[in-house]
Amino acid sequence: MHDWKNIVRERLVDLRLQPAAEWQLAEEIGQHLEDKYRELLSGGVTEPEAYRQTVAELDSLYPLKASLERSAFIAKHEVAVGDTAKGNWLGDFVRDLRFCFRGMKKNPAFVLFVVLPLALGIGANTAVFTVFNTLIVNPLPVPASRQLAVVTMVGAKDKSNNGATLPISHPDLNDYQAKNETFASLAGYTAPQVVTLQSGGASERMFCELVTGNYFSTLRLNPALGRFFAPNEDSAPGAHPVAVLNYATWQGRFGGEKDIVGKQLTLDNVVLTVVGVASPKFIGINAIFGPDLWIPAAMAQQLFPSEMNGIFANRAKRLFIGVGRLRPSVTRAQADGDIGRIAISLASEYPEADAGHSIAVRPVSDVMFSSSSGTNRPFLFGTAALLAVVGIVLVIACSNVANLFLARSASRQQEIAVRLAIGASRPRLLRQLLAENIIFALLSGFAGMGLGYAAFRALWSKVIPPEVSANMIRPHMDALVLAYALAISVLTGFLFGTAPAIQASRASVVDALKEDSHAAGRSRRKVTFSKALLVGQVALSFLLLVGAALFLRSIGHAYEIDPGFQTRRLAVFLTNPGQAGYSEAETKNFYKEVRERVTNMPAVQSASWASNLPLWGRLAAGVQIEGRQPHSKSDTLTTILNTVDLNYFETAGVPIEQGRTFTEMDGENSTRVAIVNEKMAGDYWPNRNALGKRIQLPGETFMRQIVGISRTANYTSLGEPSQPCVYVPLAQHFFDAMTLYVRSQGAPEQILLPVQRQMRALGPHILINDVRTGRTIIDNGLFGPKIGVALLSVFGVLALGLASIGLYGAMAYSVAQRKREIGVRIALGAAPDSVMLLILKEGLTLVVSGMVIGFLAALMLGQLLSTMLFGVSASDPISAAAASAVLLIVALLACYFPGRWASRVDPLVALREG
Amino acid sequence: MYVPYNGFHSMSQNSPEQEWKKGSAELLVLSLLESQPRHGYDISKLIHIRSGGVLQFHVTSLYPLLYRLEERGWIVGKWVEKPEQRRRRYYSLTVEGRKTLRSQRKSWREFAAAIGRVTGVENA
Repeated sequence: MHDWKNIVRERLVDLRLQPAAEWQLAEEIGQHLEDKYRELLSGGVTEPEAYRQTVAELDSLYPLKASLERSAFIAKHEVAVGDTAKGNWLGDFVRDLRFCFRGMKKNPAFVLFVVLPLALGIGANTAVFTVFNTLIVNPLPVPASRQLAVVTMVGAKDKSNNGATLPISHPDLNDYQAKNETFASLAGYTAPQVVTLQSGGASERMFCELVTGNYFSTLRLNPALGRFFAPNEDSAPGAHPVAVLNYATWQGRFGGEKDIVGKQLTLDNVVLTVVGVASPKFIGINAIFGPDLWIPAAMAQQLFPSEMNGIFANRAKRLFIGVGRLRPSVTRAQADGDIGRIAISLASEYPEADAGHSIAVRPVSDVMFSSSSGTNRPFLFGTAALLAVVGIVLVIACSNVANLFLARSASRQQEIAVRLAIGASRPRLLRQLLAENIIFALLSGFAGMGLGYAAFRALWSKVIPPEVSANMIRPHMDALVLAYALAISVLTGFLFGTAPAIQASRASVVDALKEDSHAAGRSRRKVTFSKALLVGQVALSFLLLVGAALFLRSIGHAYEIDPGFQTRRLAVFLTNPGQAGYSEAETKNFYKEVRERVTNMPAVQSASWASNLPLWGRLAAGVQIEGRQPHSKSDTLTTILNTVDLNYFETAGVPIEQGRTFTEMDGENSTRVAIVNEKMAGDYWPNRNALGKRIQLPGETFMRQIVGISRTANYTSLGEPSQPCVYVPLAQHFFDAMTLYVRSQGAPEQILLPVQRQMRALGPHILINDVRTGRTIIDNGLFGPKIGVALLSVFGVLALGLASIGLYGAMAYSVAQRKREIGVRIALGAAPDSVMLLILKEGLTLVVSGMVIGFLAALMLGQLLSTMLFGVSASDPISAAAASAVLLIVALLACYFPGRWASRVDPLVALREG
Repeated sequence: MYVPYNGFHSMSQNSPEQEWKKGSAELLVLSLLESQPRHGYDISKLIHIRSGGVLQFHVTSLYPLLYRLEERGWIVGKWVEKPEQRRRRYYSLTVEGRKTLRSQRKSWREFAAAIGRVTGVENA
């Protein structure tokens, strides 16, 4: 009997019908032909003749085709299996997508194992790039920020202080504003100043920047609410008590009150009216730390009566950084020449204040990161290093996923071979495999962006102390971050997908079809490639682990660094009597009484006042040395300047190496004296005794005699290069914001409360801004390295996790592939232990090779890190050993489970299945 | 006379003759379905027998015609499985089909009468 349906189907193949249509036609026409054939036979026709007549019905297929073409029976653009329809990429792509999603639905575990590592990698990259974007790419959210330049005094270019940007005086700034011909607009601003916000009996510390009236218009900013300053609001001193709020302060401290504009704030007993709120992204010219509010410079003397006394006339009171917008087609060099010309005339006009200083027009980026360090290099280095680290994590994730795809492509070998055999072309197949990768990459990309954003928010809130969160830089995701995330997602798609896809599409049809499904495992080349990927993963995670271990050890060492002052029994209390409205006499009295009372407290050994907080030194530019001629205009001596009270050196634990300390004799009317540190003495009076020599401080009209030489300490950061430092006695150099240093007899924590109680009793209106122990000072000083450790540890653990998952997957897969071989071994009498050993050996060979490579890489990269490490060599054996131990333990675990599985293979089952 | 009824699509352009044939083929099928539902083979056999072997449909013409009539909503096909028989697709007239049949019969009658009057051939 003939299979008429099949005969019909064979004839219909050429018509490329839709499957459903083909089925219906074959069914119906087949039945028809069968009926006819039977009838012919029953009518006595011979079998061959009946067959001939029946088949003749199908002779002309043309009518069928012509008719069906007009109906829905023929699939439009249907490409059966191959790729005969050229140029229909979009259609192909849509079909590929559908195919891919069907595959994903069938195997959600695979999707999870691909998307999760990639999302972690992309998330980490997105988070770090967000910081990079905010800090380095777009640190100043101001229109046309390239036209901006700053006018500053340039510090002496000595080792400790490489060309820092220093402030200029208000009258000088006025002259530059009036006389320059190169700036379209020139404004000025101060560093953030501490003020006290009084509201309902409570006091709160805030930061304000004094700015010239044209500050916001020079920057071309628009307020988020209200307005910025009118030009006349910075004209008459004290006439216009107005303020502009930082957006985050408005949101945080004032709860985003809609009617904030017009409200009055009391700052240091001065009532100010809020006139506006700045735009959300703007925190000032300094990209890292901004003020809570901006106040016109004309209010300076009302807010800071002592500190800013005479700033509008005194050219030696340097508090402002000039920032201006260059005229169109004016270069910074031209502006520099222009300002330089004015500076020379000012120097000849006001030689005592302005001679010997160098004024320069610098790019605005020089002041964006810190007024003292001058450049963004540390930030650039830090974020670039972080980008490299997260790049490594991403590469590990990619190679992990590539391995998964390799394993899967091995099991899809037959499917692909079949498709090749029935006419799919390799490029077409490759396109389909790549489309799949792109889907995975984009899925991971979206998951990663979400993850990255959440992780970033969490991390940021951990790192930034809440009390200054409104002041700190606010990294944000913008179009560039999204584009970056998208770009790396697509890139990862190609990274992890291309090699396996090429491997897969390279499949030899005949070989693949000949092999049975179990043997169709990985070819030797594929195995080598996947092993290479694993070794690379191990090497990279080892590198990150070593890095994390180095930083961890380095921090341990950092606590052992001698900062040059004692920290074990130290407590400091920050106050600002001037802001509480105390007069100079009242303040002096307060200082004296507090020092005496606290010194007499039972648990206290000694107490003293100093203007500088430990590791928070102030710089003074323009210190002059008697008899020394500056080598050049830019040869300005910049030192740390600290105003200290009696007993300071004893309390802070800074030994006097030569000469004497300050005494009661060093009063207002006696000889003016100073103490310098060894660094300064050695630099400026080499081979000679500095004692008895004289120096002049900026803003002072008299000489000070050096009476002592102290040991050099750390003034701005832990383990810093030595800096020159000058100490002057409080009695001869009044300062209205001082820090009380207390040396306790026992643990400093015990005296924190009693001392504060004593201070409140003596000065009930004086706000104690902050209280720190020696330990917390060091903790804060290690802020940067600690973030480094935290991040490196997180990323190191992430990398380790990814690599161990990869290792586990590869070993498990290998065991599955070798099940038959293992079965034979066990059947021939291999003990479970020896099978376990076999698997462990295979895995650990990879791990150890990876570790060796990682170690070599760590040695090379260690040189880069060495500047950030305290007392640990980059090739520190303990760090390497610790990283090795962690890696080995994790690797052993990752190999143990597949090994145990292998040792329990039942030979009967394995052989039957094989 | 044997007229292979290759239907309306044996030529690339639709001549008046083809239109005529096409119309008549539709009329034939609709007429046969008027009394009862029938399957494709049944229809082709009845045409063959009732025309005395003069008219004959090839499967490649018949089924496209059936599908076309079905697409127009004049007939409807249904797979039916009868005991001890193979599955077959039975076609039956729809209400729309009945109306069409009536109007096509009328036009045909008028057409044939006109031909008859002109040629002197008696009405078929």
